[in-house]
Amino acid sequence: MPPPAHLFAAETSRRRRERHALMKFLRIFVQAVAWLFAVGHCLLQDGVAIEQARLEVQPPSIVLKGPRAAGQAVATLHLPNGRSVDVTRRAAWESSDSQIASVTAGRLQPLADGNCQIAVSLTDPELGSLNARLDLTIADRGLDEPVSFRRDVLPILNKFGCNGGSCHGKLAGQNGFRLSLFGFDPAADYNSLTKEGRGRRVFPAAPQRSLLLEKAAADVPHGGSKRIEHNSAAYQTLRSWIAAGAPWGENDTSDHLRIEVYPNDRSLTRNDSQQLRVVLHFENGTTRDITSEAEYKSQRPEILDVDPHGLISTHDVSGEGTVLVRYLGIVQIARVSVPFSDTRLDSDYQHFQPANIVDQLTLEKWRKLGLVPSENSTDSEFMRRAYLDCIGTLPTPQEVRDFISDAGSDKRDRLVDHLLSRPEFVDYWALQLGDLLQNRKERDHDVRGVKNVRAFHQWIRQQLAANRTWDAIARDVLTASGDATTNPAIGYFVVTVGEAGQPEQSEVVTSVAQAFLGTRLGCAKCHNHPLEKYTQDDYYHFAAFLSRVKLNRKEPKDGVTQLVVSRQDAKQNKEPVGVTQPRTGQFMKPQTLQRKPVAVDPGNDPRQQLAGWITNPRNEYFAGAMVNRLVQHYFGHGLVDPVDDLRTTNPPTNQKLWDALCKEFVDHKFDLRHLMRVLMTSRTYQLSSATAPGNSADRQFYSHYNARRLPAEVLLDALSASTGVHDRFSGYPQGMRATQLPDPGLNNYFLTVFGRSPRTTACACERQGDVTLPQLLHLMNGDSVVQKVRDPSGRLAKLREQKANNQQIAEELFLATLCRLPETRELEAIESLAASDATGEVWVDLFWALLNSKEFSFNH
Amino acid sequence: MFDVNLDRRSRDFRPSRRDFLRVGGLSALGLSLPSLLAAEAHADSSRGAKARAKSVILVYLGGGLSHHDSFDLKPEAPAEIRGKYSPIPTSVPGLMIGELLPKMAKLMHKVALVRSGAHNNDHHETATNWVLSGRFGSPFGDFPAIGAVAAHEIGFQGALPPYVAIPQNPSFTWELGRSAFLGGRYESFKVGDPNSNEFKVRDVAPLEQLEVSRVERRQNLLSVVDSLARRVESNDQLDTYDEFHKRATTMILSPESRSAFNIGEEKDDLRDRYGRNTFGQSCLMARRLIERGVRFATVNYAGWDHHAKIWDGLGRNLPVLDAGVSSLIDDMDSRGLLNDTLVAVFGEFGRTPKINKDTGRDHWGPAASLLFAGAGVQRGRVIGSTDKEGAHVTADPVSPADVAYTILESLGINPRKTLMTADGRPVEILDQGRTITQLFS
Repeated sequence: MPPPAHLFAAETSRRRRERHALMKFLRIFVQAVAWLFAVGHCLLQDGVAIEQARLEVQPPSIVLKGPRAAGQAVATLHLPNGRSVDVTRRAAWESSDSQIASVTAGRLQPLADGNCQIAVSLTDPELGSLNARLDLTIADRGLDEPVSFRRDVLPILNKFGCNGGSCHGKLAGQNGFRLSLFGFDPAADYNSLTKEGRGRRVFPAAPQRSLLLEKAAADVPHGGSKRIEHNSAAYQTLRSWIAAGAPWGENDTSDHLRIEVYPNDRSLTRNDSQQLRVVLHFENGTTRDITSEAEYKSQRPEILDVDPHGLISTHDVSGEGTVLVRYLGIVQIARVSVPFSDTRLDSDYQHFQPANIVDQLTLEKWRKLGLVPSENSTDSEFMRRAYLDCIGTLPTPQEVRDFISDAGSDKRDRLVDHLLSRPEFVDYWALQLGDLLQNRKERDHDVRGVKNVRAFHQWIRQQLAANRTWDAIARDVLTASGDATTNPAIGYFVVTVGEAGQPEQSEVVTSVAQAFLGTRLGCAKCHNHPLEKYTQDDYYHFAAFLSRVKLNRKEPKDGVTQLVVSRQDAKQNKEPVGVTQPRTGQFMKPQTLQRKPVAVDPGNDPRQQLAGWITNPRNEYFAGAMVNRLVQHYFGHGLVDPVDDLRTTNPPTNQKLWDALCKEFVDHKFDLRHLMRVLMTSRTYQLSSATAPGNSADRQFYSHYNARRLPAEVLLDALSASTGVHDRFSGYPQGMRATQLPDPGLNNYFLTVFGRSPRTTACACERQGDVTLPQLLHLMNGDSVVQKVRDPSGRLAKLREQKANNQQIAEELFLATLCRLPETRELEAIESLAASDATGEVWVDLFWALLNSKEFSFNH
Repeated sequence: MFDVNLDRRSRDFRPSRRDFLRVGGLSALGLSLPSLLAAEAHADSSRGAKARAKSVILVYLGGGLSHHDSFDLKPEAPAEIRGKYSPIPTSVPGLMIGELLPKMAKLMHKVALVRSGAHNNDHHETATNWVLSGRFGSPFGDFPAIGAVAAHEIGFQGALPPYVAIPQNPSFTWELGRSAFLGGRYESFKVGDPNSNEFKVRDVAPLEQLEVSRVERRQNLLSVVDSLARRVESNDQLDTYDEFHKRATTMILSPESRSAFNIGEEKDDLRDRYGRNTFGQSCLMARRLIERGVRFATVNYAGWDHHAKIWDGLGRNLPVLDAGVSSLIDDMDSRGLLNDTLVAVFGEFGRTPKINKDTGRDHWGPAASLLFAGAGVQRGRVIGSTDKEGAHVTADPVSPADVAYTILESLGINPRKTLMTADGRPVEILDQGRTITQLFS
């Protein structure tokens, strides 16, 4: 069954109907077959039900046409337990006619026209002898088919890295030879090769003396070293092309439809291998095997490698990874899963009882991978974690005591509801959204001042306080107009468009794509996106929606900055909506990232339609981008990583969970609090951070809570709250907490050193959670801790004043910092030190120790 | 295996950092430094035996030094190109430099001058990150600065951090020359402005005077209450926290580190000679720190972006540069430090040949001047040249990759070595470049 086509694949509505119909038919068919098997006497395990082991060769038949055709067949052993194992290299391959074709490890080499059979056989001590057959037809082997630049030469330039971003593909080229990045401009590349370089690059009279070949094969010194061997097919193809006069050849690449990778989803063991087969599909229905011509890249190199012929090798590491397959701008992925263990029993999972859809889907994944989840967190752990994740503050000692003594079985769910309605929720999520919307002063020549940064922040708070849905907030920001005092949300455009003359020259396009769609469109500003299907044209079509944004910038002393949508008076100016593509000079009208043109009346604000498309419930990236940020926030790691790098070639680590959460978010009308409730009330969220045997290496599947350092503002507030000594932030009233600060430009050493986001770009990576040396110096020896612990108005001083006894002091300090009571062994150690301390300084030391512990500055 | 890929997340098959640094709680007080040093001795193994330099001082001239007015004068060019200054003779026969650098002029026999720095970018942030890392990337810094690479390869040795920035990292509107995918662990340690009144490095001098027994009690209590890491395996952040806790303790308590930052220990007349300004004192601080074991010090001197009123700007900056760099070279030479230390001086690009309508020069990537000294650098050498307008290089072009390659290779680090990003992507330190051999032979 083909995977559901991605939302961004270009397809007509007729084709969509056909596909839906086909999928519906297949669904029914498969269900019928499965039912039949259930009735029959078969072993039903996870995976496909089959009666006995079976050897399969893909494709079962193939036609290889043309003088340069070759192909790769893949042999798979399907086991009774449902597993499929690649045996391409283990099996024996034999051609029935060695004059027509030869075969080695599934690699088919045509020799002469005709038909033959390839017999594939495997002998296994347990399973016996298994056979399969491939029917092979060779045609046009001797045809004098001219080499075409786009079909035959360009893929070689891609595959061997000639036009990569670190070599000739960069804007400046390399050593005077410039190619378009990954061949996105074949015409220019053809010129570079044939007309520039004083005709030395291709030399038809003596092809092997062409600079193209001499450099690539390192016959002359080449900064890029040797890229191809003399006896390789690539060398021969280039040579033939040059010998034929370096023709442009057929212009036949415009009807590439897609590439198909087989298998596209496989479970392998550690130190295992899998051969891929890659087929190029044309619009006219024909296909071509491009296994050796495609480019391969492992996206998780620590888990697996892939060689230039599509052979995957896994390492000694478990997890899931994808292989990126690329051919002339079309991309596809193959997913590989390497289980952590295959000897798990049902009893291993008994302790985990799913509470909601999140748990059902994480559990399903763990079982597939042989990962066992950790135990449940304690009440203390859960409470501290939930407070910090949801509202960015610590619970008070009394709140901790109350929660621990609460006997209700639903107390955790009630706590979640309580947190979602706390006023601090608004503070903390205004901070998060402030990062996303880049609320800051401008870098150069700021025209709004801090006052407007504060106003925008206030506006964001109002949206959160009213529980406005995310699509409504997004629409308001995207379509904001007017002046900075009455509509503070225009600040988004002031910062992202800045002083750029035309919006398409500014960062607004990249920011909008990254913030609202979680996608890194930025690469496509100057060339086609290397990892996704976005072309430079797509970028500018999308930018067209923002082309009418115009800022009337005014220094605060001269007036108020305004955002207007230019040329709204249709009478005066009938220019169509669009932008000029800087490289081609073409006029680009508005089109969504799905390449759907959108008619915009020149009198209207095209952002209305942009916002409509972005916030459409069917726009998977809009829902997904926020879902992913929330999953990353609460679970420590997004379903897609990096958190704002959604693309078809970077799929979620748990596709079903992704689909379910996106659906939940959309079904509940993008209600942010609702989604957070679903995440926080799951058992998965509540797992202990203590690792269980075998799951410590898991970074992707949430089998334990991911202990991580607290964000800067949260940690600073935690220090203040636990010591009872609050910071005074310059320009703000006493009592304002760090998580309430609107302006990331406020000068504050602690916040800077602990990685507060400066909001320079929309990238989520701006906020830094790393642990660094200056941070430790500051915690151990900086004024934030050292002075606060002994402050006469602080918590410890008050406890001493109230003449609390040793145990009371210890308990209060533990509750205020770690949100738990001290264990017996801890109390005993403390008591014994206190006994030999006459000055009471032991409590200062204990307080210092608590605040310097990882248990304090980490969320766990 | 351990020292090669200090990635964010340790893997099943690699020993955790904690295994290597299992030093007892009390002994981390600097009372048994040898055990820390022993644990880190392996980190040195990535360095080759043939390192020319033990350390590097990089004087970074943020904004772009005008080569026409400093080291590559064109007195024969038309007035709108040659500018205001006349060339003066130097201690190298036949070599002339700008008149506002008289102290350097007396010293040119100790340095090598490269007049052929060239690249094709004129954007501050992009070019800065390029020249500081040796790799072209986005303005936001996709590749680690060579100082961060050095810190990664060399590791901590002794009480002081291996990589410092004085006073801070370069920045324009955001911080530049960062550690990129190597992460916060390998960021430079910011020393601050040594010229400020009552200069203190933030959080290093102990805030409280505590007796050893007090300090011990604190560490004891800490190990009692801090049990999180015992329950959580393979968490890189927790491991890093422990490691830096030990390092921070050492820095705070060891008299060695406190004294290293105490610029007041330097004689007044020496401090005067370097120049009583941020740059001069930063150069002096760099010498002090290198002397005491820091391996890579970036001295950041910003303010060279003279788009307007360039004679005012250079009139202020050049004498400061002159005093600082010449004192640094002389001082290091007389202390015998110059043989083991590679000194490099450069900015992100040169400046335009033609003076603009605001009496300034704008960004110019195709030509720039750089200085090198110390560690095997041939004294009095001049490498490369530009055309008669100082616009394009006519001989021996030197790219940012070449500069980075040379510096790393001088430290004994293989510049083509592959590092690992946090998400497991292998990235070569440098993907191109070669040693500027004319510097050394």
